[in-house]
Amino acid sequence: MLNDIKILMKSLSDIDVRIMLCKSAFEWELLAKKYNALRDEIETFCASGMPEDVKEALEKTRASLVEKKGELPPLDLSDFFK
Amino acid sequence: MGLIKNIRDAVKKEVKDYIFQMVEVEKDNEKKSEQQVPENVKNIEVKVEQPAPKVEEKPVVKEEMPEPEKKEEVAEVREKPRKKEIYPIANNLEFVRFTYKKNQEFITVPKELSELIKMLPLEEYACFMKLYCFAADQKKNYGYWGGTLKRKIGLDALSTAEFEELGNNLAAYGLLLLEQLTENQKTFVLYVPFDEDTMNKLSTAKPAPRQPEKPAPKKAVNPAPKAAKAKPEPKEEAETQHEEDIPGKPVEGMENDEMYKSYKTFVSLEIDKAKMRVGRANFDKIYMEAVKYIDKKYGFKVLSDSDKFKEYLTNYYISAFDIPTFENWKKSKG
Repeated sequence: MLNDIKILMKSLSDIDVRIMLCKSAFEWELLAKKYNALRDEIETFCASGMPEDVKEALEKTRASLVEKKGELPPLDLSDFFK
Repeated sequence: MGLIKNIRDAVKKEVKDYIFQMVEVEKDNEKKSEQQVPENVKNIEVKVEQPAPKVEEKPVVKEEMPEPEKKEEVAEVREKPRKKEIYPIANNLEFVRFTYKKNQEFITVPKELSELIKMLPLEEYACFMKLYCFAADQKKNYGYWGGTLKRKIGLDALSTAEFEELGNNLAAYGLLLLEQLTENQKTFVLYVPFDEDTMNKLSTAKPAPRQPEKPAPKKAVNPAPKAAKAKPEPKEEAETQHEEDIPGKPVEGMENDEMYKSYKTFVSLEIDKAKMRVGRANFDKIYMEAVKYIDKKYGFKVLSDSDKFKEYLTNYYISAFDIPTFENWKKSKG
């Protein structure tokens, strides 16, 4: 079990690194999808109760994703209005 | 006569010296440690004895001495901290978001409102009146609370913290409704009795429940305004309208409506105009705020869903740039 959670946490830190390198909205969306999938996986894995440090790591990655999205150029809404 | 004059001058001079000495000694006493205090007292006693012998000094000393005491009193008054606990001067007021039907030629204060605000302290009263005039000027009683508003209502001299405090005090008095949208964004709704003849009702804002620790004072006036009482509306409807007013709330349905399509084009143009108006850097900041707001309010799933995010972002812009809502735009089109 310890090994499994370590693997999941490794995937999470991979996402953290990629967030720093992310430069486009397309890349960001891929990372967000990965994050959502990983979060679901971790939640399923820790169904009995998520350890505090895992919860914090998830929140930290989420905050980084939000921050990065805000830093990227504003989304072009022209398609949305067509 | 000359002799008396000389004596009087000499006495005055001595008394002045004495007072200066006293003040200096007092200052020294404050600075020195407790161990040195007895020595200073001795000095004072010695110095007091020196100018004492002449009988004529006494009345003069009595006249001059009160000055430092007065100064102390003034200092005490100034140092008094502001009363922290504020009781609402009115309860259960209905905060209606409205727009004025037409420009106001005269800014009039309804009597029931003037009865309420006359109980406000000077600063809060001034701030309320400035907001009231501003509301009449911009034809609506709600908007964003912050530095821009502070500047627009002519309170530049106040620091942000002071302005925040004024807003919080007005909210505590029950005459202003502040809502925290994001970490950096607040909206306000100013209490103005609703008048059907001159105003269009948009929604009813729901004040946050008051803390039970602060009971209403005995003197508190408890009148919901007559106009508001006379036209009670179902709560559910009001809440729904309020929900619609929240920035970021998507407009659902009507996608196939031709009117709605025209409205979307209008919004697109308005956003482009706003982008030009505020500049690229500010627009980026607004976008960043929007992202944070949408994440906080609707969750990360919405943020990561491209279509939903576009929809919520559009509505955020509509609110941030004061673009008319679909309903208002439709009305203006007739």
